[in-house]
Amino acid sequence: MKQPLYILSACSISPQHSYDMERFLNPVISSDDNKLYVTAPDYAKYISPVAIRRMSRMLKMGITAGMRSLEMAGIVTPDAIIIGTARGSVTDMENFLKDMISLKEEALTPTGFIQSTYNSVNGWLAMMTKSTRYNQTYVHRGFSLELCLLDAQMMLAEATGNKYLLAGGFDELTEEYFIIRDKIDYYKDEPVNSRTLLSHYDTKGSIGGEGAHFFTLSNDPNNATCAIHGIAMLQQPSSDALQQAIADMLEKNGITNDDIDVMMCGMNGDVRNKFLMDPLIAGCSTNTTIAAFKQLSGEYDTASGFGLWLVHYLFTHSSIPSDIIYKQGSSTSVKNVLLCNVTIACNVTLMLVTSS
Amino acid sequence: MAERVVITGLGIISALGTGKDAHLTAFRASRSGITGVTHLKSVHADEFVLGEIKMSNDELSEKLGVPTGDNGYTRTTLLCLAAMDDLLQTTDLSLLRNEPFAFINANTVGGMSKMEDIYMDVIATGTDEKNNKYINTLDCAESTENVADHYGLKPIMATISTACSSSSNSLILGARMIKQGIVQRAICGGGDALSRFTLNGFYSLKNVDKKPCQPFDQNRGGLNLGEAAGYCLLESESSAKARGANIIAVLSGYANTNDAYHPTAPSPTGEGASRTMQQALDMAALAPEDIGYINAHGTATQNNDLSEGLAIQRVFGTNAPYFSSTKPFTGHTLAAAGVIEAIFGMWAMEEQMILPNLNFETRMEELGIQPVSSLMEHTPINHVLSNSFGFGGSNVSLIFSKA
Repeated sequence: MKQPLYILSACSISPQHSYDMERFLNPVISSDDNKLYVTAPDYAKYISPVAIRRMSRMLKMGITAGMRSLEMAGIVTPDAIIIGTARGSVTDMENFLKDMISLKEEALTPTGFIQSTYNSVNGWLAMMTKSTRYNQTYVHRGFSLELCLLDAQMMLAEATGNKYLLAGGFDELTEEYFIIRDKIDYYKDEPVNSRTLLSHYDTKGSIGGEGAHFFTLSNDPNNATCAIHGIAMLQQPSSDALQQAIADMLEKNGITNDDIDVMMCGMNGDVRNKFLMDPLIAGCSTNTTIAAFKQLSGEYDTASGFGLWLVHYLFTHSSIPSDIIYKQGSSTSVKNVLLCNVTIACNVTLMLVTSS
Repeated sequence: MAERVVITGLGIISALGTGKDAHLTAFRASRSGITGVTHLKSVHADEFVLGEIKMSNDELSEKLGVPTGDNGYTRTTLLCLAAMDDLLQTTDLSLLRNEPFAFINANTVGGMSKMEDIYMDVIATGTDEKNNKYINTLDCAESTENVADHYGLKPIMATISTACSSSSNSLILGARMIKQGIVQRAICGGGDALSRFTLNGFYSLKNVDKKPCQPFDQNRGGLNLGEAAGYCLLESESSAKARGANIIAVLSGYANTNDAYHPTAPSPTGEGASRTMQQALDMAALAPEDIGYINAHGTATQNNDLSEGLAIQRVFGTNAPYFSSTKPFTGHTLAAAGVIEAIFGMWAMEEQMILPNLNFETRMEELGIQPVSSLMEHTPINHVLSNSFGFGGSNVSLIFSKA
């Protein structure tokens, strides 16, 4: 990957106080029922009272996180809007589908149908920013956000002159979606306090989560907080293949294991990926601080967005919050961060993020 | 200058049948695939006409050589497999096993065609072993991963969903990955099976005509839905030549833009769509008069055809190239529309014929142009333009040129 993705701003709507960064982890939001829902910000800030009335929460989350990211970067009209979401607005899909079934296909209103379209947030963000340029939506399970970032990277590599892109990922947890996924061991059978998720690595499943994360990206390093220098998507890798992919990514960027200051790890507490995570952690340099985030975000298809937002947070704050430290390393600075996410299906994604 | 991207393989299933011969025969006979409803279990089944694929799920499974009955495949996946099987009639699978390639798929509602039948059971608490194999099928990536698994392939996979422009975007992504040297080859396209969810969605928007649709007609009454899947094998021109592949067409131009106007309706002046077509022309370094045929999006809704017609006039003037919508043949196949209509455009160029816009009677009063209403053979075409426009203001134009 020759073209770095410079991150100008990042916005998070998550179960934690991440939208209001000054309150982040103060206090830590937790749950005891294996579900972490977002802490909602004031959605009326960016969305008009007329529009907001019919909007489902996923739309409000996506639009607000996107608009806020642009505002923080000082960009009015982005050159592209690229989004990754595994399931879009689940609530809208559920509402239209259940109405269709219960009303026997009569007298349906189209709102849920329209808003469940996977690119509806793309459309709203384009309208609100008057962005008539490239607009794209990736819907590939646990790779959705990474595909979006890969596209952004390709866009910047194709670009002449400075370009500013809005990229983001979001997914929603609902009561029904929880029941559905629980049937295929996505979530733990036993109730777990979310803060202790990683001490339950002996059973199947994780805890449910949701969130919306948007990033303003550019090929212009001015005002960038950090930059993504590598993105990899690994389909159910063996432990060796994962180690090799990391080694390849570091080598391409001229750094070694010892240069990794933080590994931001998307461990989700599911025993089925212990065979990947245990050697990964054991193979880290003693320099490297291992951080974990799914005890704060819950598990969902685009949870790596929260991980990437946290990486960005580390570059804008001088210390690593104790609530995310899994194992303290000896490095005292934050220059190179490896984000490693693992999904319930044992797919793994990697991002190398550095300070410049 | 970046290397050219060429198309060396095509696969398709639609209401007109499977593969090239079935489609060309139907086009030449002006025989529509839109009929009364056989398979879709809707309370409105007797009221609508649809571009349904005539085979049942079991018949599709038999044709594909997979188990019939509850085999874990949704109709969406079965259609995607059928289109891929067709592509592999002319493409050696080992080509795709020996090197990294990309598989870019698209759909709008995943496996809704199955899920809507079992949803109330699926959301009930308690065990539900019977339906577990379908539980993840609402994910759009389900068909993508199942198709790759079926052929034992490990491609770079992506699934796109931008409503009715989805599979056109698949082709753009594949082309960009080839140009950037990420892969040499990409299979790009998409598929959608009919579902009550989508039919009722468009019906609730009052966008569905209960009679056969009439694109670009003054008296058009909305769209007919259809189902289809299609794939194109894209590769770098040098790798196609190196292996002596038959080059069907060059993907010479493409553009993805957004209307930024309304959640579902296109800009009424056609401003957004005209920008898309113009950008594709610019990329291909072509003048408007170079285009020999436009396969229009032409859904036959009030909004689309007015917007698209005006957009064509903006770019091409009232002396526009021959254009038609092939949706009266297949219905609006949503995520598949972009790729199957791209394939129709390539065949039109290969055969040097203009495909007819069936059911056209009266020119729209807002337009100075009208579509070709009967098949024209022996018409020189060197470049075709294919449009796909979707909800969310998503506009895509593709241009294919003779090799």
